[in-house]
Amino acid sequence: MTLLQKMDRLVYATRLDRIIFMKFQPRSFRWSPLLVLTALVVGYVLMTKTSSWTDLRTYLIGALLFYGAFVVTGFLRLLGPRFTPTELHRLDERELMVKARAHAASGVVLATFTMFGCFYMATAGMPGLWHPRLPYDWVNLGFGLQALGLLLPTWIASWLEPRTVADHDN
Amino acid sequence: MSRRELAEAVGVNNQTIGYLERGDYKPSLELAMRIAAYFDVPIELIFSFRRFEPVADTLRRAAAAGEQPQ
Repeated sequence: MTLLQKMDRLVYATRLDRIIFMKFQPRSFRWSPLLVLTALVVGYVLMTKTSSWTDLRTYLIGALLFYGAFVVTGFLRLLGPRFTPTELHRLDERELMVKARAHAASGVVLATFTMFGCFYMATAGMPGLWHPRLPYDWVNLGFGLQALGLLLPTWIASWLEPRTVADHDN
Repeated sequence: MSRRELAEAVGVNNQTIGYLERGDYKPSLELAMRIAAYFDVPIELIFSFRRFEPVADTLRRAAAAGEQPQ
């Protein structure tokens, strides 16, 4: 048996094929993204409050929350409503419609968020108003926006999808 | 006929057929025509703007009238 064949068998033995070929039924995540979003915001605030490394413990808790939520976002995207066709599963007209609506709506939300962010930054020179100062703050904000860009379509699509129909054929 | 067989025949996901049965999804004209063509019936026999009468009611009415439902 060649190395490639062994690796191929390993994929099936570890059941990774279910993820690679999307053999599982997509799930709706209607409420869990709210928890992830909360973890992202709380984690970011904790990290930003201590980004001058004054309190390492609080910073690490914040980083754990923030980047933990970032990783969870990837899993929700993978297990949630399907946006990417595979060889075994092409997107049908309903899935394409849900994908288009979810991405359009999340684009509007992100654009609005960014617009208000710009207005806020314009006034952030005023005393007492917080704004990202250090490079870490900006990098984390960038990752936060990336997580939001991944999370929002999954969240919106989960609400657009009706409740799953029990599949007696499986 | 199973949901999966119909889904494969008209080229959609099983869940989409389930949503159609439940009235949770309004199909495109193309999909509606493909389903009608598959059953070889006019499209209005499967899809309508008005809700179809439940099958149980049709059977009950037919039994009360003393006729066999078709």
